[in-house]
Amino acid sequence: MDGIHDLGGKEGFGPIEVDEEHVAFRFIWEGREWALSRCARAPHISIDWWRHCRELIQAEDYLNRPYFDSWTQTDLSTYINADILSIEEIKTGKAAISSTKSLPVPVKLSLEYLRKNHRENAVKFDNPERRESSIRIDQSVLTNLNGHSGHTRLPQYARGRHGLIHKYHGAHIFPDLSAKGIKTYQNLYSVVFEAAELWPEAKGRRDRIYLDLWESYLTEVNL
Amino acid sequence: MSKFDSKRITEIHQHLHTHLPSDSALRVKSLESLLIEKGLVNVETIDAWVELYSEVIGPKRGAEIVALAWTDPEFKQRLLKNASSAIDELGFLGTATGHLQVVENTPLVHNLVVCTLCSCYPFSILGIAPAWYKTAAYRSRAVRNPRSVLVEFDVEIDDSIEIRVWDSTAELRYLVLPQQPEGAKSMDLKLLSSLVTRNSMIGTDRFLKINTSRKS
Repeated sequence: MDGIHDLGGKEGFGPIEVDEEHVAFRFIWEGREWALSRCARAPHISIDWWRHCRELIQAEDYLNRPYFDSWTQTDLSTYINADILSIEEIKTGKAAISSTKSLPVPVKLSLEYLRKNHRENAVKFDNPERRESSIRIDQSVLTNLNGHSGHTRLPQYARGRHGLIHKYHGAHIFPDLSAKGIKTYQNLYSVVFEAAELWPEAKGRRDRIYLDLWESYLTEVNL
Repeated sequence: MSKFDSKRITEIHQHLHTHLPSDSALRVKSLESLLIEKGLVNVETIDAWVELYSEVIGPKRGAEIVALAWTDPEFKQRLLKNASSAIDELGFLGTATGHLQVVENTPLVHNLVVCTLCSCYPFSILGIAPAWYKTAAYRSRAVRNPRSVLVEFDVEIDDSIEIRVWDSTAELRYLVLPQQPEGAKSMDLKLLSSLVTRNSMIGTDRFLKINTSRKS
């Protein structure tokens, strides 16, 4: 979707606040949100649908509220959407909906357990049985000029642009359909763009931008 | 009705915008207490996750990986070829590093990592991302004018050096392998890893220093 989240190349946000205290969580609530997001989620959710729900936060909230706050709002929206929480419950702070029996009962896990078993959180998104690239390395490609109103991972700044295939990553879950609850795999490539192909002011600059893009975002071209 | 309806989520966000308390801490408290009351989360497990990412997992892991790559050429080759499997040797595989890529700085190349569409980050080796990494200012400008971004981080890059910006648009996550500083050839692993800053592994630092105090 052409939402506010698609920030690459947008201008006017001013300087970056580079000086900050070097801590994982600046506030207690940030740690709580991080941990909640690790412990539970709405059923049948995919990372792509979750990201799409985050993209749909109103622009003023998306830009102005703290980062982990947007995770909380996203989580709330997915729980409400799944009929696990209601707006009324959030308003009153009292649980009313009781139809959560189909969800797994949470287990008590210790720090030691989480540390030892952390590698279980390394999710794979590729299909190891599909390793056949259909576009060769160094092939010129043109990216799609248009996106669509659903979730997609082709940013606006890289649409309708020429790049070169840099690397093949195998077939990964295609986010545009995954965000609609449909799990399919599609070839994924690292595509490199010259800065001047993306930005008018970058002519003569020796910089390159690499994006990981799915095959249906790309068309092979011969320049 | 489909559970994947953008219009419905937009409406929910509008309700939340109207009804949620303004204070972020109260919002999270509300989510946590409702999930606890409904028996969907366990409070001890929540505490353990907070502690894991406050005390155990952080950029020191990334620094250990870098120091080992500097001193062990075979590990470096494995790291550049399949970083997820290489960090698994060290017990560092975990959240968001199932498809890790390592990109190497050289005298002629500088790498910079960003996520313009959300804020993807290799959590299990760098911990929680710094606040600046998640700002609109960084996400918007890193792909368009990386040199101006680096100047703000006090990193002056000569025009002859190529900057490669990696926008994390898929499930691949990136770790920059900074250059080993001159004069740090004979140090042991522990000392070497103490030279590696978090920012150098994202690409907003380049010239690692010996014997100075570092802030990030």
